[in-house]
Amino acid sequence: MHSAKRHERRRISSKLADATLTTGGSPEGLDYRPVAMMPDVRVLKIGGQSVMDRGRDALYPILDEVTAAKDKHKLLLCCGGGTRARHIYAVASDLELPTGVLAALGGYVPRQNARMLQMLLAKHGGLFILHDDFEKLPLYFRLGCIPIMTGMPPFGYWEKPTKGGRIPEHRTDAGVFLTAEVLGCKRAIFVKDENGLYTDDPKKNKSAKHIPRITAKELLEQDLPDMVVERVVLEYMQRSRFCTELQIVNGLEKGVLTRALEGEDVGTVITRD
Amino acid sequence: MSKLVTGDGRTHIESSLMRESLVDRRVVATTDSDGEFAILPDVVLVGLGGQSIFDRGRAAVMPLVEELKTLREARRAATERAAGSDKVKDPPPMVLGVGGGTRVRHTVSVALDLGIPTGGVAQLVGAMEEANAVFLNALLAKHGSIVMQREHFWELPLYLESGMLPIVISIPPYHFWEPPPEDGPLPTHGSDFGLFIHAEVLGMKKLIFVKDEDGLYDRDPKKHADAKLISKTTLDELTKHMPDDVIIDRQLFVCWQRARHVEQVQIVNGLVPGQLTKALAGEPVGTVITRN
Repeated sequence: MHSAKRHERRRISSKLADATLTTGGSPEGLDYRPVAMMPDVRVLKIGGQSVMDRGRDALYPILDEVTAAKDKHKLLLCCGGGTRARHIYAVASDLELPTGVLAALGGYVPRQNARMLQMLLAKHGGLFILHDDFEKLPLYFRLGCIPIMTGMPPFGYWEKPTKGGRIPEHRTDAGVFLTAEVLGCKRAIFVKDENGLYTDDPKKNKSAKHIPRITAKELLEQDLPDMVVERVVLEYMQRSRFCTELQIVNGLEKGVLTRALEGEDVGTVITRD
Repeated sequence: MSKLVTGDGRTHIESSLMRESLVDRRVVATTDSDGEFAILPDVVLVGLGGQSIFDRGRAAVMPLVEELKTLREARRAATERAAGSDKVKDPPPMVLGVGGGTRVRHTVSVALDLGIPTGGVAQLVGAMEEANAVFLNALLAKHGSIVMQREHFWELPLYLESGMLPIVISIPPYHFWEPPPEDGPLPTHGSDFGLFIHAEVLGMKKLIFVKDEDGLYDRDPKKHADAKLISKTTLDELTKHMPDDVIIDRQLFVCWQRARHVEQVQIVNGLVPGQLTKALAGEPVGTVITRN
């Protein structure tokens, strides 16, 4: 029995009414020109292990640079996790919990970090915001505030299983990149404790050479076991519409963040092309 | 008791991942193991099509509502009976989800024309699926349904334990953070994928999609009269010979490749009374896709 004829689907006619939405590609006849929502926002990631876990000595000078720049630039601060997130992932992996649970649990730590930043920046207009507050960003900026949020994307329990492990593939690097992408920003700035990318781990090898500029493709092609940012970010950069550059700067070096905010290519810039 | 470790300017908590780069494949591999804890392994997730069922209105929806009511009553009776009694035919506990249907298409069509970025489109479409969840809940409320909001994720066992019929929000919460699609501007993480990942993270073994076709065909049966029904297939086979028009999200199959819990995805015709009940009883109606 095939009763499809009995009750027709009540459709709203549109270019996509008959299309399979999930096969990819551009719908026929569509001239897609996406708008950049807030391209002048500076999306900043404050590292978890690299900055927050270092405490006052590392963070206070960075916050001084942030507050000095806040009337000149629209700054959106996103937080990384750090050692507590690592502890959570280690415990949860030992318990053989699914990746989605790790992602949801791992989300607590960057939120704590964002709340700490908010308390420190409150007198300068620091505002802790949730993913759900994202659409209020224009208001916050108009009021001269510094919105501060977690770097984690909101995937949580809906994070895909990870191949060859349990640690979620979308963590704070991915979240910050995707934030910049949807806002229509060309560049996201990651504040860490290294001057960007080196030929080897500079903490272990003193003769490691600094790499000022490299493409995402080159990085992926090197297929190194370790990477300076989450792999998915480099993959997504190949097909992003707006965010085509990541800048990694050393927040421990005075003035570097300010220069990056002025658009200077300090640290390492990873570009799409 | 874990201790704090200092000495490199940072304060660490001792753990197997301490000081490690979580991007390092070798480190990620240390978190792997063959097993995985299954949170709610006996629950079956049932997804009702938006366009295929809901947009057909009363004639398609009400018989399914009746069927769900009967299934829920049978389930309650089973839980109230003494343990050890014959419960071969008892339906498993289930969680429902609903797609968004034609309004999703209209939303996407208008949004793309306006130049809304992909993440913005993803942020918008969920509203239509939530609306259908509310529709379904209105119809099933007196039979114990409840819409499970995302922030109430861990209340699911409570709903199930009390014999309710939870309806989950099908679209995954990727929202503004939808990753750039491989091809074209459309978000790829739709409601079928969302239900799949919901089942997977909770360690469920089986999902049933209720649509308006007898199952999966080698071509779109609405466009091709000679389309052949695929009644039994495996994920590998399907991945190798993916039909051009698939009745469920492609992303689901991509994700299934690396999933650990979901063993079976069944697609049944909701316009045929009793198909869902048979599928829940383990009968191979419609299309049965197994992982191996």
